[in-house]
Amino acid sequence: MNILNIEKISKSFGKNKVINDLSFSVPENSIFGFIGQNGAGKTTTMKMVLGLLKADSGKITVLGEPVVYGQTKTNKYIGYLPDVPEFYSYMTPKEYLKLCGDITGMDDKTIKIKSDELISLVGLDKANKRIGGFSRGMKQRLGIAQALLNEPQLLICDEPTSALDPKGRKEILDILSTVKGKTTVVFSTHILSDVERICDRVAVLHSGKLALAGTLPEIKAQHKNDSLIVEFAVLEELECFKAIINGCSLIKAVEELNKGIILHTYNILEAEAVVLSLLSKNNLLPLKLEVAEPTLENLFMEITA
Amino acid sequence: MTDLSQLIEYLPFLIPIFALELILAITALVHVLKHPTYKFGNKAFWVVIVLFIQIIGPVVYFIFGKGNE
Amino acid sequence: MKSYIAFTTKEFTEQLRTHKALIMFTVFLLFGIMNPVTAKLTPIILEMFMPEGVEITLGDPTALDSWAQFFKNIPQMGIFVLAIVFNGLMANEFTKGTLINILTKGLSRSTVILSKFSMAILLWTASYILCFAVSYGYTIYFWSNDIVYNLLFAVFVLWLFGVLIISLLLFGGVLFKNSYGSLLLTGTTVVIMFLINIVPILQKYNPVLLSSSNMDLLTGKMQPSDFTASIIVTTALTMTFIVVAIPIFNKKRI
Repeated sequence: MNILNIEKISKSFGKNKVINDLSFSVPENSIFGFIGQNGAGKTTTMKMVLGLLKADSGKITVLGEPVVYGQTKTNKYIGYLPDVPEFYSYMTPKEYLKLCGDITGMDDKTIKIKSDELISLVGLDKANKRIGGFSRGMKQRLGIAQALLNEPQLLICDEPTSALDPKGRKEILDILSTVKGKTTVVFSTHILSDVERICDRVAVLHSGKLALAGTLPEIKAQHKNDSLIVEFAVLEELECFKAIINGCSLIKAVEELNKGIILHTYNILEAEAVVLSLLSKNNLLPLKLEVAEPTLENLFMEITA
Repeated sequence: MTDLSQLIEYLPFLIPIFALELILAITALVHVLKHPTYKFGNKAFWVVIVLFIQIIGPVVYFIFGKGNE
Repeated sequence: MKSYIAFTTKEFTEQLRTHKALIMFTVFLLFGIMNPVTAKLTPIILEMFMPEGVEITLGDPTALDSWAQFFKNIPQMGIFVLAIVFNGLMANEFTKGTLINILTKGLSRSTVILSKFSMAILLWTASYILCFAVSYGYTIYFWSNDIVYNLLFAVFVLWLFGVLIISLLLFGGVLFKNSYGSLLLTGTTVVIMFLINIVPILQKYNPVLLSSSNMDLLTGKMQPSDFTASIIVTTALTMTFIVVAIPIFNKKRI
């Protein structure tokens, strides 16, 4: 079942069309990576899902219920972590969670149990001071705690890791993987390694449209790579190899590495056979011979180029 | 000097005023020293304002000068 | 209802911890003491600084002088402090972005406005009563209050004027999303009300009456019934500002 459905939404700010006929859906219990360059329209899309911005056209449903601008009915299923979460600086984390719980109509006992649990999940149990003295990372963690407070079925995080150092990023990603299974997570980012680390589904947004969508293995299979990497121990061997491979009809293009070469081929399997036979015929022993795995980065570059 | 003694007679009524001004000034001073970030001005500036401009000084500090923690 | 109580509690916590409640209470308490004491001491101080041999013909101060101080200081300084303390009531939430989280949690925007309005009224009422109680205590200690008419009514209408100012500050905050807008709207409206006061037939409808003619009530020159029209206009304006602020807020992007 799809927890979030986006059908043909468009949004312009003045003459600038930010989202152009965008459609995708998020299945339950996935970690959904929403990728795009800065300014691609990720935050705009998320704010429309939350009813904070009005879509010019199209339809958004959360668990089958339509999202209406300015209303917060569907938000009871959603936990939201804004890109820069802002809290009341004069409150302590516990007081803030209590306020959030009261607003969502949870009873006092559940709030107490749940907030204690979440505060230790995000590692703020020792930070019993006012939020005003928190670092970016601590605020981000409190942001996750407040977003998870009412056990939402959908957790939306807007660039949760962008402003953090590597350690802080890892901690946030770990927390997000922990909640997987209980909650569907949608998070936007432009850091591709984060996506590869925890996401099982991705969608790439480019100039207001969906450029790529699916599970990570699916996408990688679709964009199966055609490149072969050959590396040698010494430069002479490389020169020798370059000389014999030159003119082979299967090779589309050649890219030089430090002591190796990347062969972009028309047919990876045939090319691999030819290369192997050429290597053994000439008594050349490569250090490494591998079919290049398509990285998300390569795909991303290809799409956004 | 009957007038002065008359003024002294009213001291019990003037003392609460001084006490309140003092409370405001001291609360503000403690805050200025403990939270050294301000929307504008620096520590020395705010210490002077808070201590030497009665009532208005501390009020201006808390409303306009105090940084966002 | 629970969310209303929760958000109003948050408002009070904010006023306490950001020292705004402290400012309101101390400043109004100071006014409370200063009103009668100034009335009492003015002739004495004047005498002290008069050159030798100059006769002064100042009458002995009475309770009326003390209340004259009250109804001079509160409409000017008191209302000014009120505006300074509450001009960021709505605006700070916009500029800091703190409402995004709260609203996406399902708090309705009308609750935000009503919570802030009730908190501000309560804090204003408490500070005002404190100021009045202290002034009253000193006044009856120094003088007889028997010569004063309609005191509680005069105090009530000035309070109502303060409530109008609070609704204006909130309305301005919602409209302009910043504290300068809030102050500017309130200031402009007060100036306009004073300009309207130039036209004699409009005076009795003007909210300004509630903050400027209180002494006439005390001396018996005016009767409470003379204030009815102005009270109705002021109440209607206050309610309009709050009710209109809600749909405007609903349309604001946060």
